[in-house]
Order: sequence, then C-alpha cells, then structure tokens
Amino acid sequence: MAAKPGAATPTYSPKIVGRSRLPIFKDSDLDWSRPDGRGFHQCRPALLQTGAVSSASGSAYAEFGNTKVIVSVFGPRESKKAMVYSDVGRLNCNVSYTNFASPTLGQGTDHKEYSSMLHKALEGVIMMETFPKTTVDVFALVLESGGSDLSVLISCASLALADAGIMMYDLITAVSVSCIGKSLMIDPVTEEEGCEDGSFMMTCMPSRYEITQLTITGEWTTPNINEAMQLCLDASSKLGEIMRDCLKQSASASDE
Amino acid sequence: MVMRKLQLPLSQTQKVRFERAIERLQSLSSSANSDASVIVTDSIPVNHDDAFLKGHGTSEVDGELLATVCGVVERVDKLVYVRTLRARYKPEVGDIVVGRVIEVAQKRWRVELNFNQDGVLMLSSMNMPDGIQRRRTSVDELNMRNIFVEHDVVCAEVRNFQHDGSLQLQARSQKYGKLEKGQLLKVDPYLVKRSKHHFHYVESLGIDLIIGCNGFIWVGEHVEVRDPMAIDDQKDEEMISSSSTGKEQSHIPLETRQTICRIGNAIRVLSNLGFTVTLEVIMETVNLSNSKNIDIHDMLGSEFHVVVAENEAERRRTKRKK
Repeated sequence: MAAKPGAATPTYSPKIVGRSRLPIFKDSDLDWSRPDGRGFHQCRPALLQTGAVSSASGSAYAEFGNTKVIVSVFGPRESKKAMVYSDVGRLNCNVSYTNFASPTLGQGTDHKEYSSMLHKALEGVIMMETFPKTTVDVFALVLESGGSDLSVLISCASLALADAGIMMYDLITAVSVSCIGKSLMIDPVTEEEGCEDGSFMMTCMPSRYEITQLTITGEWTTPNINEAMQLCLDASSKLGEIMRDCLKQSASASDE
Repeated sequence: MVMRKLQLPLSQTQKVRFERAIERLQSLSSSANSDASVIVTDSIPVNHDDAFLKGHGTSEVDGELLATVCGVVERVDKLVYVRTLRARYKPEVGDIVVGRVIEVAQKRWRVELNFNQDGVLMLSSMNMPDGIQRRRTSVDELNMRNIFVEHDVVCAEVRNFQHDGSLQLQARSQKYGKLEKGQLLKVDPYLVKRSKHHFHYVESLGIDLIIGCNGFIWVGEHVEVRDPMAIDDQKDEEMISSSSTGKEQSHIPLETRQTICRIGNAIRVLSNLGFTVTLEVIMETVNLSNSKNIDIHDMLGSEFHVVVAENEAERRRTKRKK
C-alpha cells in the first residue's frame, strides 16, 4: 500500500516501560521490607532430607521456604555406546520443572541453562577419575518454584551425590544474593528476583573454602560484589553445617 | 542397623515399640565401630608415626586423612578405607550373582548386575542346552536367543575382570543359567554377606532361594538340577521337546505362588529395616508371619515391621547369651 505523498512514514516506536517496583518496596531504600518478613541478610528456613527416592542410587529433598526440589542420582553406570572411551567418568545433569511449579510457566519444562550451570557447579567437586567409562546421572526436579531455584538445586544435588556414595572432594553449598537499589538481599524469593537490578550466585566448598562457580548478572559495584561474596561465604558455611548434620543423621542410623 | 528412617506411618504405640527395639539392637551391636561413621571431608584419625595405606574413600590433604564418601571407617592392618553403605555392588572373583539380560550382542550377553558397568556373559562361558562340551560355531551364535533373550533373569558366577574394569561372568554348571517361575527382589548389596552357600533349597516349602552377592535375590519354584550328560541322546531330545511344548501349559500351584510372595515380602521387610539378609533371618520372618496369621499383603504394613524389629532384637539377645 503506497503512502500518501507528504505524509510522514509511520514508524514503530517501542513503548518505554520503566521496571515497576513491587508495592512492598517503598521509594526510600531504607524503608523496604521483604515479602516474607525476613531481614536483608537472613536466609529462609531450610529442610533437607536424604533417601527420598528409593529406586535411585542416592537422592535428596530440599525445601527452602516455598522452593521445593527433589534430586535423584543414578549410577555410576555404563556410558552409552555412542560415547567414545574416557578414562574419567562423565556427569550428566538434567533440570526440569513440574507443570505446577509456578503459575507463570504453565507447563513442565526442561531448563537447558540450569542443567549446564548445575553441571559446571558439580563437575569441580566430583572425583571423576574414580569411575572411568561410566556416567553419573543427576536428575533434578523443581516441585515448587519460590525463588533462588538454582542455588537450592545445587545444594540438594550435592547432598544426593553424597547419599549415592559418589567420591567427592567436599560438599557443595550454593547461595544467591539479589541487588535491589543499594540493598543486598540474600536468598531472594520470586517477587524479589522479578525486580532485582543484579543477581549474584556463588557455589563453594565450605570445608576447603574454594569456589566452584560464580555467576554475576546485572549492575554491580566492586564494594557490592565484595559484600555479596562475604555474605555468601558466611551463609555457605552455615548451610554446610546443616547439610553435614543431615548426612550425619542418616549415617548414624545406618551404623551397625 | 536401620538404613533409613522407616518410611511408614506409625501410630504412637508402634513408634514407641519400634524405637525401643532399635535401642535394644544398638545396645547389642558391637561398640567397635560406634564412632566410625564419617561423612564427606570428615577427618579420619590415624597414627602418622606408623605407616598407613590410604584406601577407597579417603584422600590426604595437608597431611590430614579426609573421607571423600559417607560411610564407616574400616581398618585392615595398615589399610584405612571408608566402606560406603549406599554404594553399588563391588564384585569379587567367585561371587554368585543374579542379573537381568539387557542385550544380546555378538557372542555375548550383557547383564545388568547393579555394578558400575554391565557384566558380560560370553557364549563360550555358557553351558550349551545339549550339555556337550564343544567349540561354539556360528550356528550356536545364531541360536543365542534360544538360550537367553532381553529381560531374562540369569544366575552366574564372576569369572574375572577385564583390563578396562568390565566384568566377565561364567555359567558353566547346571546350577547356573536361566531363572524362571519366581520373583526377583532387589536389596542394597551391603545387606548380603558373602558366604559359602548362596543357593538355598527350602525343602519344607519347595522353594529355591538364590541370594546374589550383588543384592539381587531370586525366590522361585524348586527346579530339579538334571545333568544332561547322564541321559541318553534320545531321552534328552524327548525331555527337551516335552519341556518346550509344556512350557506354556505348566503353571505354579497357588500355594507355591503364595509362599513365593510371602518369602518375597519377608525380604522386603528386612531390607526396609536394614537387617542383613540371610536364609536363617528370612525363614524366621516367614515363620513369624505364619505364626501371627498375617496375610501376605499385610506383611508390608507398619505393624509387621515393628514386630520383625522386636523379634530381631530378641533373636540377637538370645544369640549373645549362648
């Protein structure tokens, strides 16, 4: 269709939408309160349990507030024929969501990105050379998404691997921090993740004080990064103790 | 003792009885390994003056011996290792194993054994149906599916390990081979202790029980082991033809099926409670269910689990007295 002579050609102008803060966040940074009433540097209550799936080599269930995940570990078992010979083991990670995990997803989905991040976090801690020619499969299922899903998945997967008797250098704990305005919030929930300026997730070995994965997205200043890292390390050591207690309970029960 | 917390709904009285039974069992169990359970990165106390050997599940960091798995610390002379409880089966040459055929390959069957890798049962390591010792030909290779097909349950012996760590099996005796008319049960391998006898015939019930070292247990109708070499060729052919025609017709009597299910449920209960699976304990559990007039399907209920735990505590106490 030809445009009328003299008329300006209509162009598409995107509507500039400012990211709206949730009602819980007031204009002043100082007056913010978190949706669940926690302090900025306070984690959600955690429930950890091993041996949740009887058919798996090892399994764990984790509940951090409203985030509920279950991880099953199968193997080590023989690698598929298509794979070439390897003198170290292979790790296969798969993260999927149930169709009722969150209202926005609507249907169960596989998270390729989360799967690769889970793989990256775990491969540094597993002694791959102890099971050559074989594969360890880690299947993670998010039953309910309540925020900080990946960090909960990683911690739960570490617990499941320990339950399966896979040789590891240490347990893994993952903690995430959100930056909203000038404030840093540890272990953010879905509402906080929806309006964050930046996210920071750190995966570390608490006993060895080594980091296996560090993910930073969004706007961060150097002092904020340092503060977030310190927050994560402190939270990781505390979470590590909870995980060790969980494993000790199951180990003492099995001690003949 | 108890592998995991009992995943059953217990009433208040059942809970009290169960906890009391567990306490009695713990007091009876040897205190040698009471502080031996470790988890990942726990320090293992060793005397650094004496030479020691680092075994499975341990690693040395900054001169300190750390556990890399969750389990129980075991010491054999100078060797220090961690025995993992939930780990997969660790085979040894000569072990009797029960497995399931997952693939028919070239001159071999691949068998799932609850091990890191699949077991390999070579055609040459297998007794031929006619019982004659001879070289395996291409015809035998074509007829491999007449012996075992996918999903068949087989019993074999660990022959050796190959250089790449895979497992070679053999079934060169009449007691090994295909298992039919029964139930395959899976328990944690650490619940099965290696012993002289893994093949059991419960004469009073007419049941065969094969407790595989890999945690696979077979409960089935008793089969007479007949040596084909002792039979004339004609008789042998008649027997084979009659067995092949009667395969569809033959059925297990109801009483035998119920007995198989009862023994199967007894093993499941023992596995849930984390008790070592032996013929003696299995038969005691079966007799207990009979004496208490407990139906087969009720054996997996909470009450019977508590009763078995109490009975095991009593059994160990009387054994200790003797």
